[in-house]
Amino acid sequence: MIATADSQRRWRRLFLIVGAIVAAYALLAPLTSLDAAQSANVPLLADKFWFRIATYVVMFVVMATAWNIIGGITGYAAFGNVAFFGIGAYTTGMLIAKAKWPFLVALPLAPILAALFAALVGLPLLRLRGHYFAVASLGVGVAVGELVQNIDYNGQPVFGGASGLFLPIYAVGHRGLFFFYLMCGAAAIAIAVTWWVLRSRFGYGLIAIRENEEAAAVLGVNTTAYKVGAFALAAALTGLAGGIFSQWNVFINQDNAFPIEYNVQMILMALLGGTGTVFGPAAGAVLLQLLIQFLGGSLPISIDLPFVSTEARPIVAQVILGLLLVVVVIFVPRGVIDFFGGRTRLSLSYLRRSLRDTSL
Amino acid sequence: MSTTAEPQLELRGVTKRFGGVGAVDGVTFQVERGEILGIIGPNGAGKTTLLNCISGVHRVDGGDIRWEGRSITGMAPHRVARLGIGRTFQIVRPFGSMTVRENAAVGALFGSSAARRGPKQAFEIADQVLELVGLKAKAGQPVSALTIPDRKRLEVARAVATRPQLLLLDEVMAGLNNVEIDEALEMVRAVHATGVTVLLIEHVMRVIVGICRRAIVLDFGHVLAEGEPEVVLRDERVIKAYLGERYAKRLRTERGQDSPS
Amino acid sequence: MAAFVQLVILGLLAGGVYVAVGVGFGLVWGVLNIVNLAHGALVIVGGYITWQLFTAFGLDPFLTLPVDAVALFVLGYALQRGVINRIIRAPLLFTFLLTFGLNLVIVNILLLIFGSDFRSVTPTYSGQGFEIGGIVVPYVRLTSLGAAILLSAGLAFLLSRTRIGLAIHAIAADRDAAQLVGIDLRHAYAVTYGLGAACAGVAGGLIAMIQAITPTAGEPYTLQAFVVVILGGLGRVSATVVGGLAFGLVEAFGQSIPGSGSVFANAIAFGLMVLVLVTRPQGLMGRLR
Repeated sequence: MIATADSQRRWRRLFLIVGAIVAAYALLAPLTSLDAAQSANVPLLADKFWFRIATYVVMFVVMATAWNIIGGITGYAAFGNVAFFGIGAYTTGMLIAKAKWPFLVALPLAPILAALFAALVGLPLLRLRGHYFAVASLGVGVAVGELVQNIDYNGQPVFGGASGLFLPIYAVGHRGLFFFYLMCGAAAIAIAVTWWVLRSRFGYGLIAIRENEEAAAVLGVNTTAYKVGAFALAAALTGLAGGIFSQWNVFINQDNAFPIEYNVQMILMALLGGTGTVFGPAAGAVLLQLLIQFLGGSLPISIDLPFVSTEARPIVAQVILGLLLVVVVIFVPRGVIDFFGGRTRLSLSYLRRSLRDTSL
Repeated sequence: MSTTAEPQLELRGVTKRFGGVGAVDGVTFQVERGEILGIIGPNGAGKTTLLNCISGVHRVDGGDIRWEGRSITGMAPHRVARLGIGRTFQIVRPFGSMTVRENAAVGALFGSSAARRGPKQAFEIADQVLELVGLKAKAGQPVSALTIPDRKRLEVARAVATRPQLLLLDEVMAGLNNVEIDEALEMVRAVHATGVTVLLIEHVMRVIVGICRRAIVLDFGHVLAEGEPEVVLRDERVIKAYLGERYAKRLRTERGQDSPS
Repeated sequence: MAAFVQLVILGLLAGGVYVAVGVGFGLVWGVLNIVNLAHGALVIVGGYITWQLFTAFGLDPFLTLPVDAVALFVLGYALQRGVINRIIRAPLLFTFLLTFGLNLVIVNILLLIFGSDFRSVTPTYSGQGFEIGGIVVPYVRLTSLGAAILLSAGLAFLLSRTRIGLAIHAIAADRDAAQLVGIDLRHAYAVTYGLGAACAGVAGGLIAMIQAITPTAGEPYTLQAFVVVILGGLGRVSATVVGGLAFGLVEAFGQSIPGSGSVFANAIAFGLMVLVLVTRPQGLMGRLR
C-alpha cells in the first residue's frame, strides 16, 4: 500500500522535472515571436493559435489553483466560483468600456470587487455545509450571471444585456504575448499565494476547519472569518483571471463570462492534480484543458474521430469528456497526484482497490 | 475548600433544552482556580451538553456562565478558547490529514490569545506538550497510525497546546483498560502540575476518586450532590438513585478492603 | 384582490411542474444522499420520449406519461446499479462530479439524436382553458398539477405501504443497519434511483406540454428541484409537494414585480432558498434529520 520512500522520491522528481520542462518551454516559446528573434531566423514556436490555447490553459491554472484554496484546503465544495470570474470580467469590462479607464488601472478592481462579493455572500453561504453549500454556491453562480445579463435601468441594459459588452482593443505591441505573460503572472500569484497559505497560521486554520470544524473552533480558530477569508481569496484570484480575460477577449457576455461548465472543470482539474497541494491543481489544469482542446479539435495535433461529422464533433467531444469524468471519478478517487506525487503507483490492483473502497 | 477570591468559572442556573427536554436544567456550581473538579453521572445526565455550553459549542437557553467574574454566555467557541478555556471531545476529533505534531501545533497556533505565535514557535510548543503527554516518540506519525489511548492523549495534547488556564476533559478515560487509565491519570496530573485548572467529566468512578478533591454529581440535567468524592459517592441518594445498587455494594466492599477505618 | 387571487392560482398551477421535478430529486437526495446533478437531464429525456410518441404516433401526451415513467425507471436503475453505486462511499464531491459527468453524457447524446432545435408538444386542447371570475385556467396546466399531485401520492403510497418502500425507509434511516436485516442494498439503491428517475421522466412529459424543450433545457430544473426540496424540507414527499407549490407561488409573485422578467424570479427563488437554509435548515415542513 505504501510505496517506499525511495520510489516516492523518484516519482516526485520525475513529476517535477517534466513539469519544469513543460513550464520552461511554455514560458520561452513566445519569445520566438518577437521581432528580434524573427529577424535572427529563430523558428517560430508560438503563433496566434498557440497564444490563444496557451492563454486559455494558464487561465484555468489560475482558476483551479484558486478553487483549491476554498475547495481543497478549506474543504468547502464551492460549485459557483465562475461567478467571481464573471464579476472580474464585467468589472474591468465596464470600467474600460463605459468609464473609459485604462486597462491596467481597471484590472486591480476586478479581484477587489470579486473578493468583496465573495465575502458578502460567503457570510450566509459558508454557514451551510456539504451538499447545501455546494448547491447554494452553484445557485449564486447562476443567479449572478442572469442578473448581469438582465439588469435594466431606464429601459437600457446596464451591463450590455443579451448582446454582450464590447471593449476597445488594448493598444499594445505583441498582444498575444502580452496577455499570455499577464495571465502567467496571475498564475504565479495564485501559486505563490497557495504556497504561502500552506505554510502560514491561516493555512493551518483552514486545514483544521477542513478536517473538523468544531474541533478547530474550540482550539481558537475563528472559523467564520477564516472560511470567508479563504472564499474571498479564491474569489480575488478567480476575479483577476476574469479581469484579464475580458480585455484579452475584447467581448464578454453571459456565455463566456459565466459558463457553468467552468465550475466543474476547475474542480476536476484540482482533483486530477491533487487537492490541497501547491502545484497539483496547476498540473491538472494543464492536462485537462489540453485534453478538452484536443477533443474539441482546436489543437494542431488532432485525430479524426471515426463516424463523426465535423459539426457533430464538439458534441461527441463533450460525450467523451463526460465519460472520462465518470471513469476518473470511479477509478481514481484520490486524484492522479497519487501516482505523480508518488504515494502509489498506477496498477490494476490500485484501480481495483479504489473501486472496492468506494462502492456499495 | 472554598476560597474568598472570585471563582475562576461560575455557572448560575445554566439551562439547555433540546426540543423541550431539558438536557441541562438550572445547573449552578463554581470552579476554583487550580483545583481538579470531577463531574460524574450516568449516560444522558447532561455532562457533555454542559461542557458544550461552557465552551460555546451550544448556545444556552437560560442562566449565566462567568469567567473570572465576566459573563461569557453566548460567546463563540473560538473566543471562549482564546480566553483560556481548552477542551477535548469525548469522541476524539483529530485532524486526520496532519501528523501528531501538526495537530498539537494547531492548538499552539491558535488557542489562548495571550501569546500569538508563528508556526515555528508553535511547533516548539507542540514538541513540549507532546513530551508532557507522552507522545513525543510518535510526533512524526500520521494520526491514522495511533492507537485509541494515544488518540485520547493527542486530544489532550492539542487542548493543552492552546495554553489554557482551565481544561475541560470529556471522558478521556472512557474505553481504556486499567493500565491505560493509570497512565492517563498520570498525564492529567502532569498537566495539572503545570498550573492548569482541570474540570474532568467522567463515567469511571475510580478516576474521580483517585484524582479529584471535589466532585459534582449530575442526574437528568440537575446537580444531585456536590462535595468530596468519597463523601458524595457514599451519599445514599447518589448510590440508590442511579449508581445502581450493585455498584454501590461493590464500592462498599472495595472500601472495606482498602481502608478498614 | 382579483389580481392577487389570479397570481395565487397561476402560482399553484405552475407549482405542479415543480412538484413533479422535486419529488424524484428529493427521494434520491434524502435516501441515497446524492445530489443528482443529472436530474434535469433525466427530466428532458422524459420530455423527448413524450415528444417522440406524440409526433410519431399521435399519442395523447398525458397517455405517454406511464411510458416516460417506465423507460426512465429502467434507465435510472441501470445507471445506479452500473455506475453510481460504485462511488457511494466516496466523498461528497465525487458524487457531484459523477452525476455531472452523467448529465454531460446524456445531454450530448440527446443533442446527437435530436439536434438543438426547440421541440414542443401541442395537442388540440393546448392553449385552451376555462374561465372562473375573470381568471383563465389552462387545461394543460390544471391537468399537469393533478398529474403531479397524483404522482406524489403514488410515490408516498409506494414508500409507506410496500415492501421495497419499507426497505427504502430503512436505508434512509441507517444504511448499515438496513444491510444487517437482510436488505439487498445494491438493488434497493438502484430501485430508489430508478423511482427518482421515473418521477423526473413524468415531470419531463409535463414540461414538454407547457414549454418547448431542447437537450440543454434541463439544467435549470436541477437547480429548481434543489430549491423546491430545500423549501419543503428533505425527507418527506408531502414536504416536497408543499415546497413545489411554494416555489410556484414565489415565481408567480416574482414575475409580477413591475419591470422584472422571469430572471428575477429565479434570483428571488435562490435568495429565498439561502434564507431558508440559513434560518430554517429543516425546511418549511420538515423535521431535522
